[in-house]
Amino acid sequence: MSGESKGVWVYLQHARGDLTKDSLELLAAARGVSSKLGQQVVGVLVGSGTGALAEKAVAYGADSVLAVDDPVLKDYFNLAYADAIYSLVSERKPYILLFAANEVGKDIAARVAFRVPTGLATDNVQLAVEDYNNPALGQFKNLLIQIRPDFGTRLARIYTPRHRPQMATVRPGSFSPLDPDPGRKGTIEKVPFAPREYPARVAEVRDLPPPVPDLAGADVVISLGMGILKDGSGNARDPLEAYRYAQQLKETLERKYHLRAEIGATRALVYAETKGLEGLIGKANQVGQTGATVKPKVYFAVGVSGALQHRVGMQNSAKIVAINTDPGAPIFKIAHYPIVGDLYEELPRLISAIGGGRDA
Amino acid sequence: MLIIVLLKGVPARTTQAVQIGGVLNREAMELVLNPHDAKAVEAADFVKRRAGGKVVALSMGPDMKLIPLMKPLYDAEVSGVDEEYILSDRKMAGSDTLATSYAVSLGVKKLVEMHTAPIGELSAEIRRGGYSDTVKAKAAALYGANLLTNRVYSELPSVRDSIVHRFLAGELTPDAALAELAAEMERVSKFIVLSGVKTTDGETGSVGPQVAEGTSELLGKVIPHATYVEDFDVDPATWTLSSERRIGYLSQKLEMKLPALLTVAAEYRPREAPASWAKEVRASNYKGKVLQATKWTADDLGADPKRLGLAGSPTIVGAGIDIGKPPVQKKVGESLVFLKAAPQMELDSKKYGPYSPGDLVQGLPGPAVEKLKSEGAVGAFTIEMLAEELFR
Repeated sequence: MSGESKGVWVYLQHARGDLTKDSLELLAAARGVSSKLGQQVVGVLVGSGTGALAEKAVAYGADSVLAVDDPVLKDYFNLAYADAIYSLVSERKPYILLFAANEVGKDIAARVAFRVPTGLATDNVQLAVEDYNNPALGQFKNLLIQIRPDFGTRLARIYTPRHRPQMATVRPGSFSPLDPDPGRKGTIEKVPFAPREYPARVAEVRDLPPPVPDLAGADVVISLGMGILKDGSGNARDPLEAYRYAQQLKETLERKYHLRAEIGATRALVYAETKGLEGLIGKANQVGQTGATVKPKVYFAVGVSGALQHRVGMQNSAKIVAINTDPGAPIFKIAHYPIVGDLYEELPRLISAIGGGRDA
Repeated sequence: MLIIVLLKGVPARTTQAVQIGGVLNREAMELVLNPHDAKAVEAADFVKRRAGGKVVALSMGPDMKLIPLMKPLYDAEVSGVDEEYILSDRKMAGSDTLATSYAVSLGVKKLVEMHTAPIGELSAEIRRGGYSDTVKAKAAALYGANLLTNRVYSELPSVRDSIVHRFLAGELTPDAALAELAAEMERVSKFIVLSGVKTTDGETGSVGPQVAEGTSELLGKVIPHATYVEDFDVDPATWTLSSERRIGYLSQKLEMKLPALLTVAAEYRPREAPASWAKEVRASNYKGKVLQATKWTADDLGADPKRLGLAGSPTIVGAGIDIGKPPVQKKVGESLVFLKAAPQMELDSKKYGPYSPGDLVQGLPGPAVEKLKSEGAVGAFTIEMLAEELFR
């Protein structure tokens, strides 16, 4: 079966008439994999009137696009979309099928994987192509290596050696979209959809305000962790004080460098529902495996120990500054600028150093 | 309505997860109930108050570990779960999400059949033209085993109009009784499955939708699902369910015909159940609770062994890897850096530099570093230098 399956397929999600950023990232991820395999990147579009999106997908790295286009597919509807994708997969047998690890990708991928049936490795942060030897199962050439956070402290490699396609979801923010090339050539094929009766329907779709803060779009993220509850001498501190410093740093950066800065938090701090931070730190501030994945120009980790679940959400930041009293904190393993010390002393010093001098 | 809640025992502390070849050994560690599942229990409690029926907890894993974890659920929320079932078999060990979803789907199917079959048995008894004694004895035994709703047969003083009651009183002809039982069979097959959005060990969020797909396959009809549901209501008059979920910047309302599956988000808060439906709720309820968990093995489920455990799992977990390369670090107050630009220098016919301010002093011979220090050309990296280069 593996001999005949070919192609690195990407499910192209769209919203409000445009491909989502997650889709562009997936195309970049697929290009990396396909170049090692010598296979084509195929975008799979499901919707109504998606012609322009198909061209955009080609500019961002697709060699061809399969567009399942039908007026009944106008709104995202998990059962119909899963049917559309499954019928293409069962007919054309791709080698790999990727989705974004978001509400939509996970929704469809799980159903499609069960129906094929094949494995589904979720929330991958890296992808690779390697040979795989398993004493019980044999040798497999050019397998997709799906790399995702493990239960413990590390990343795990997941293999799907015997089933095709190898299906994976990729965490948003793990790859950067390629620069678009409007001159790229690709084929676009319209595929008809055979609608059927479903015991469900989309009754209503409403716009929601964008999440506040929008961490993923920020130039700078200043994240607070449980370390803010104590100072360097171990005395309890009002976490609001640390929050105010973060706010001051955010304003300084916006004023002096015209950068968009946002305040983030670790899962531990969000879930602690700390007294004094109500309404200031919530789920929308959370960075990490179960929160946002961010890749800002500068990431400040303030009182953040750096559990793996946090690191996978920020490790690709261009510059990481970490302030922590514990020199053994795991965050220091990935920080470019480790500051071992009391955040209640170091952070104000840093703010005044950044705020000093002429405005840019 | 049959309200099935999916539950999972997860490692109490992820750092102590015991793994053998990438597979968690749940028998060897302390387990807790997956925290996300609490929302599914809350939602189940709401459905029972809204539509009546029975809340059944369904889990998979070592039964000896799960029984004590699940015991408190009998008293959870307002009325708690009514019955507990555990899929436990060595043949299921090492299951990935696909094999897990297959086994759980078989469990759901068995639960549904377990609750529709008694209605069929009772119908057969009536059809056989059996004496009223045998019909009554059959109904009483099935009701006692918690397998018939009050609508079919009841020992509650407040319920005097059950189907069997009216049949025995001569108010229903056999055909009329059979028609009502057929309608009840239809009602009982409109089950709902509720689960947490994901588990804290695997974090995949795949099992919910895959159980919807698995039950679709096993029951031969499409079972719709919605994930990350923040709000929902069930209309027991029409057997429809309306759910609301967030997709990026959109909110989507999905209307489903039961049976259906929902994964319940942390944001979920149960609605008020209207009191006007209380009589219907009571009619749809069963006798009570069965306070002892039932264990089902692979054979009990009639499972295909090729679809269970390691054999039925397409994915293999390989060796772990550490993330990221250690970056080149500059430590405030410690790292030695150039304070001003320095031209290229040649020492012992080796070339070094040129250097810009802020460059780390690396690889230069000791005496040269000392000389640079004395000239004030290098010094410790300061917080001011950090502030300067961060946003350069």
